[in-house]
Amino acid sequence: MATDTSHFEFDPGFTDNRLRVAWYAALAVLLIVGGAAMILRITDGMASTNLTSTTPWGAWVAFYIYFVGLSAGAFLVSTLANVFGVSGMHRVDRDALFAAIISMVVALMFVWVDLGRMDRMFFPFIWRQLTSALSWEVHAYVAYIAVLVTELYFSMRIDLARVAERGSGLRARLSGLLTLGRRSTSEASRTTDRKWLTRAGILGIPLAIFLVHGGTGILFAVSKARPYWNSGLFPVIFIVSAVLSGTALVMMLYVLRTKLFDDEPVDRNLLNRLAVLLAAFIVVDAALTGIEMLIAIASLHPHEVETWAVILFGEMSWSFWWFMVGMGWLFPLVMLSKREWRETPWLMVLAGLSVVIGIIAVRFNIVVPPQILPVMKGLPHGSYFPSAVEWATSIGMIAVGLLLYTIGAELLPLTPLDRGDH
Amino acid sequence: MSSSNDDVQPGVPAVETASMDAMVETERADPREELAKTDHDTELGIAMAEDAKRVSQGEISAEAYWEKYDAAAEQEFGDAYRETPNPSIESTDQTIDAGTADSLSCTIGSMESVACEIDAAESVEGGAAPEDRKARWGMVIDLQKCVGCDSCTVACKAENRTPPGVSYNVVMEEEHGEFPNVTRTNVPRPCMQCEEPPCVQVCPVSATYKMDNGVVNIDYDRCIGCRYCMIACPYGARYFDFGENYDDEVEEAGEITSPEYGVDRGKREDGKSPIGNVRKCSFCTHRLERGEEPACVETCVGDARNMGDLNDPDSDVAEMADSTRSFQLKESEGTDPNVYYLK
Repeated sequence: MATDTSHFEFDPGFTDNRLRVAWYAALAVLLIVGGAAMILRITDGMASTNLTSTTPWGAWVAFYIYFVGLSAGAFLVSTLANVFGVSGMHRVDRDALFAAIISMVVALMFVWVDLGRMDRMFFPFIWRQLTSALSWEVHAYVAYIAVLVTELYFSMRIDLARVAERGSGLRARLSGLLTLGRRSTSEASRTTDRKWLTRAGILGIPLAIFLVHGGTGILFAVSKARPYWNSGLFPVIFIVSAVLSGTALVMMLYVLRTKLFDDEPVDRNLLNRLAVLLAAFIVVDAALTGIEMLIAIASLHPHEVETWAVILFGEMSWSFWWFMVGMGWLFPLVMLSKREWRETPWLMVLAGLSVVIGIIAVRFNIVVPPQILPVMKGLPHGSYFPSAVEWATSIGMIAVGLLLYTIGAELLPLTPLDRGDH
Repeated sequence: MSSSNDDVQPGVPAVETASMDAMVETERADPREELAKTDHDTELGIAMAEDAKRVSQGEISAEAYWEKYDAAAEQEFGDAYRETPNPSIESTDQTIDAGTADSLSCTIGSMESVACEIDAAESVEGGAAPEDRKARWGMVIDLQKCVGCDSCTVACKAENRTPPGVSYNVVMEEEHGEFPNVTRTNVPRPCMQCEEPPCVQVCPVSATYKMDNGVVNIDYDRCIGCRYCMIACPYGARYFDFGENYDDEVEEAGEITSPEYGVDRGKREDGKSPIGNVRKCSFCTHRLERGEEPACVETCVGDARNMGDLNDPDSDVAEMADSTRSFQLKESEGTDPNVYYLK
C-alpha cells in the first residue's frame, strides 16, 4: 500500500480501505448526532440537562474528570519509556503522548459545554482566585498540554524529518512543517531530542500527578460540605484510577494500531508487560477504594454512610456493581490472570476496553452520589440521570476526540520508523 | 351610632367616624409639649406644622411653603437647613423643584440621597476609629417565634423575582420523635453570609466575594456558571438559574427584574445574566441600601426574623446573637455564619 515508489515507505493509517470508510462513516453519524444535540444545548441553555440546584454537577463533569484521568494515565505510561527508560516501551511512547493530548482536548470541551455561560470560557484567564483549586487547575491544564506537545515533538521530530526528506505528498509536507525547521536526521540531533524529551518528561511527571490529576481530585476533596469527597485519600485514588484507565487505553491502542494500521505482529512481551502493569493498577485501585469505603463507613458520619448506601444499594447501584466492579475490576482481572491470555491481543483489547468503560462508571460514582443526599436535612433530595442532550453531546465530543486521534494516526509517524528499538 | 345600624356587620365594632377621630385626638401627643422637649423654637414649629397640613391638603404648594419659611428655618437650623434638600410630598423625588431650591440657595437632590447620606454618616459616626464601626449585617431568627408559614419564602420570591427552581429562602421543616411525642421545628434558611465563606474560596474567577458590610456578593457579569460554589456551600443556599420563567402563570412575568446588589438589569431575557449564573440571597442588599429591612424580615408574621448591625454591640441583633439561646447552623464547618438562630 505504499504511496511512494522509492525505497522509502511511510503509510500509517488503515491498511484496509473498507474499514477506513466504515470507521469514518460511523464517526460522521456520531458527530451529526452530537452536533444536533449541541445546538439544543446552546439554544435551550442548561435547561436541556437533567441537572438541578441540588445536583448541579452531572455527566459532563464526570466525563471531564474521566478524560483528564485518561490523559494523565496515558502520559505516565509514556514516561516509562522516555524518562525511566523501561526497555521495549518506546514503541507506545508517541501513541501514549498523542492520546494524552487528545484526551485533554476532549476534557476541556466537556468543561466548556458544562459552563452556564459558555461565552465566558476565557474569564478564568482574566480573573483568578488564589484559594480556588479550579482556578489553579485551568492553568495547570494549559501548562500540561504545552508539556505534552513539547514531548511529542521531541519524541517524533527525527521521524518527521525523515518523512519530510524522503517521503512525498501531504504527509511529507505536513511532517516538514511540524519539524519546525529542525530537519537534521543525524545521531547528534537525536541525542539532543532525547535529552529534551527526558527534561520535559521530568517536568511533566509532577505536573500530571500532583497538579493535573491530583489537582482535579483536590478540587473535589476540598469540598468540606460533601464529606464523601472530603478525604485525603481521595486525590490518590483519583491518580491511581487515572493511571489504570490510561494504561488500559494505551494497551488497547497499541494492539488496534499495530493490527489495523501497521499490519504487523503484536509484540507479545510488550503486551504482557502492559497487561501485568494493568493488573497491578487494578488491584491497587480496588484496594484503595475499599479502604476509603471502610474509613467512611467506620466514621459513622451520617452523610458518608448514607452516600455509600446510595452507591451500593441505591437507584444507580447497577453502575457500581456492573460497570465499576464488574467491568472495571473483576472482568479485566480474570482476563489478565493467565500469561497465555495476556499475550492474546484480542483478549487484551477486550480487557482494555472493559477497564476504559468501567472507569467511566468510577467517575460517575465519584461525581453524582454525594449530590443525591441534600447537604442539610429538610432540603430536597436529588435524583439524576443524564438527559438525552447530555448523552448525545457527550458522544459527539468523544467522537471529536476519536476523529482527531484517527486523523493524527493516519498522518503522523506515531509508530517509530525504526520500530522503537532505538 | 343609631344612624348606621343598617351597616352593622357581625364581629365588626360599630364605631362612627367622628368617635374614631376623637379616639385619635386623645391619643395624639400635645404639639407644644413635644416641641418643648427640643432645643428649637416651639412657635415656629407649630406654625410650620399648621402650614404643612395645608400643603398636604393641597391648599398651598410645597415651594410656596418653603419660600415662606426659608429665612426662619435658616435662622433656626443654620447650615443643616441649607445642606439638606427641602422635602415636598408633591414630586416623585419627594423634594421641591430645582428652580425654587436654587433661588432659596438650598441643596438640590432627592430624599433618597438624604437617606443614603445619613446611613453612611451613621455608620462612620462615633467610636475612636471610624473605620472599625463599619456595619456588618446580620440576621437573627427566633425559632420559638417561627410558625412555619413560609411567608418569608413567598415574600422573597416576590421581592427578588426569582425564577422557578430558584428560592433564596426556604423553610426546612423537621419532625422529631414518634407519635404521640412529636415535635416539629421550622428552620428558615436564607444565605448565611458566612464570615469564612467556602463559596468565595472556590470561585475560579472571583465572581463571588465578601463585601465590607458582610454580605456575600455575586457579580453576575463575571460568573461563568461553573457551579463550584454550589458544590462548596454547606447550606445548599445557592441556586442555578436554568433560564425558566413564570410566563405560563403570570403575564409579563419577566418584564421587571429585581435590582439585586443595586444593579438594575431591565427585562429578563434568554442568554442574559443572571440566566446561566448562580444566584442566592443577598440579604436584600438593594433594600438595605435604601434603609429598608429585607423582605423576609419585614413580612414575618411572628416577628421571628431580625436584621441589624452585628458590629454595633448595642443593636438588638448583636444582643440576641450573644444570648445563650443563640446558635449557628453547622458551626463545626468553621464558616461562622452571620445568620444566628435562637433555639
